[in-house]
Amino acid sequence: MLRILMLNNRKILILNEIDNIAVCLVDMDIGEVIRQDALNLTIQNRIPRGHKVATKAISKDEGIIKYGERMGHATSDIQIGEHVHTHNVLGDRLSTEQVK
Amino acid sequence: MSNQLKAFARADGRWGLRSHVLILPLHSALSATARKIADESDGAVAVSHDWSGEVDGDFDRIIKTFSGFAANPNNYATVFITIGTPGELLIIDLAKKLGLNKAEILNVAELGSMGKIAGAGLKLANSLLKEAKAQSRVSAPWSALTLGQECGGSDALSGITANPALGVASDRLVELGSASVLGETTEILGAEHLLAARAITPEIGAQIIETVARYERSINYEGIDMRGAQPSRGNIEGGLTTLEEKSLGAAKKAGSAQFSGVLEYADQVPKSGLYFMDTPGHDTEQLTGFAAAGINIVVFTTGRGTPTGSAIMPTIKVATNTTMATAIPDLIDLNAGTIADGVKTLSEVGGELFDLILEVANGKLTKAERGLHHEFSLSRMYNTVIK
Repeated sequence: MLRILMLNNRKILILNEIDNIAVCLVDMDIGEVIRQDALNLTIQNRIPRGHKVATKAISKDEGIIKYGERMGHATSDIQIGEHVHTHNVLGDRLSTEQVK
Repeated sequence: MSNQLKAFARADGRWGLRSHVLILPLHSALSATARKIADESDGAVAVSHDWSGEVDGDFDRIIKTFSGFAANPNNYATVFITIGTPGELLIIDLAKKLGLNKAEILNVAELGSMGKIAGAGLKLANSLLKEAKAQSRVSAPWSALTLGQECGGSDALSGITANPALGVASDRLVELGSASVLGETTEILGAEHLLAARAITPEIGAQIIETVARYERSINYEGIDMRGAQPSRGNIEGGLTTLEEKSLGAAKKAGSAQFSGVLEYADQVPKSGLYFMDTPGHDTEQLTGFAAAGINIVVFTTGRGTPTGSAIMPTIKVATNTTMATAIPDLIDLNAGTIADGVKTLSEVGGELFDLILEVANGKLTKAERGLHHEFSLSRMYNTVIK
């Protein structure tokens, strides 16, 4: 399946249809426009290969969904096309927030 | 390529994929002598460690680790170098009970000097190596192969390329009758519900959940902030943001087979089926525990190019990305980055890895073996207190 994606020059990889992020397969520059299937997004930050980009608008405290599973939550509102990483996401477990 | 597994039959019914002569010092101060013997011999292996016989909260775990490591079926013989403490005798006794093929003991007190130990050790090692090399491989059932799954230096492609490829190979082996073991409790935290749902009984599922909960309670009790360690700096540079994300990718190593049981650190692995073992996330401690559990071959997926290997278990390195695989070719046995490059499919790379596991099981040396990556590390739960 992945091979077909790449042959079609896909730049991002959506791992599960319910995900709100995708994995960048190449380094992304600001302003780059991604058109894949129903997606039409403009990259908001420089995003290195392997890092995540928001494919949906994500509100503060909303779950980040990858592989169809929750991997943490947003610590601020995240726009479509924005880099999703440690600056705007925190894990739900084993973080200082829970350690009282 | 022949699809037949060929291994060394041990007297107790277990199977070795290698025929090592292991020089095992049972006191930290004997490590240098053990290394000297191995280096000067015709191919014996040795490990170094920092245990000096202390009897503390970790005593049982350390005894279990050394005895299991000595008894691993990949060892044709183990030469114990001792100073003669009761703890050492306990290790040797347990190793024999676990099925150690051949045990030899060199005692410093009896021989009188380090020089005499080194001399006697070299003579003994070379004579055992001659015997070990005279052994031949015979056709073995798939249950002769016990696979350990390891990932180190994970990046964002780990969960998309190398780990699921290992999952494909592991599923095939489990179906054929091999045993396969997923470890690293830290790195299933956040994915344990998915693994528990694949347990063959609700009790085993509950055990998987409880193993992670136990770990989580201990971390929260200590008030430790895991951020900074998990994911590690390297993981974060690679694009992994949270521990749960890392775990969701790490759990893909275990494929989709059902879990037949949960094992404590260094517990002996049953002959067939997929298991979860409670091991630390530290690569070398986990590999040492795997060896002590009787695991005789490891697949180690890596995004950053972790060189770690084992003195006695062949360790196959699978790269998650082509950039690293190309940069460090002398460490990487298989590049799964081709999946993300769109050159190969997941099932193609999974099939290549299965074939490579068989080739390595049958004697092909891994890069880690050729590079003499003989790392060894004891896993401790408590502060060392001399009683």
